Amino acid sequence: MKVILWAVIALGAAFGVLYLVVRRAQRTLPPMVLPPGEAMPSTALQRLAWQSLVPIFLLTLAAAAVVAHHGVSVAWENDAVRRSAMGFLIAALAVFTYYISRVRIWIIRDDGTLDERDRAILASAPAGQAPAMMVTLAAWMIGLIETYHASHLVPSVFLYLIFWSLLMVSVLADLAGVVIGYRRN
Amino acid sequence: MAKATIRNEIRRLRFEHGEMTQQALAERVGCSRQTIIVLEQGRYVPSLLLALQLARVFGTTVEAVFTLEALR
Repeated sequence: MKVILWAVIALGAAFGVLYLVVRRAQRTLPPMVLPPGEAMPSTALQRLAWQSLVPIFLLTLAAAAVVAHHGVSVAWENDAVRRSAMGFLIAALAVFTYYISRVRIWIIRDDGTLDERDRAILASAPAGQAPAMMVTLAAWMIGLIETYHASHLVPSVFLYLIFWSLLMVSVLADLAGVVIGYRRN
Repeated sequence: MAKATIRNEIRRLRFEHGEMTQQALAERVGCSRQTIIVLEQGRYVPSLLLALQLARVFGTTVEAVFTLEALR
């Protein structure tokens, strides 16, 4: 449970850093002024990124909740619990696969769905992936060392949890990069 | 190092060309209306290709649409 707490703190820190970076970047841009009552129209990529980010985030949260609720060792030993957590994660990856496929189709067809700004945002979106993964990995390492330093034995279940958490953080950071890209540019 | 800012006249040119809407301009140059909005507000610097397309729609030169405003 202590390790899960570390992971939550790490994710909070990662999102906090991301928020500060976006706020800082926004200050260097002229303020956005729209006529009263008019909202900024969204692009197809922006809508798709939101429609993918929200379910993936919720499914990841559901998987984390299952593991946190039952405890790490039960989640590893109990087939039903492990499979339900994995089910949520695989569903999240299926949503991401759909997102990637749609974007690839738009790029290949070149039918005007994506303009040059969309493509620039897509290209810069993965910039946050490496820092987010590094923060997550550092949190896992600190958490595991602090928890298991005395026993010198780290349960193998953590290999599984580290793998899934890094994968999901990578996916979420990519989608967040697209969503944030529209606010920054 | 000094930083240049780019000013554009897209909004004025739209109105001078029959009050062309942002959507109509976006369709003519092949981008989204959101891109036209952020362009007009100076939050996005277009590629040379898009700048040339915008100038062509307004029947003018790129320099008449975009100007290097100041060095900070």
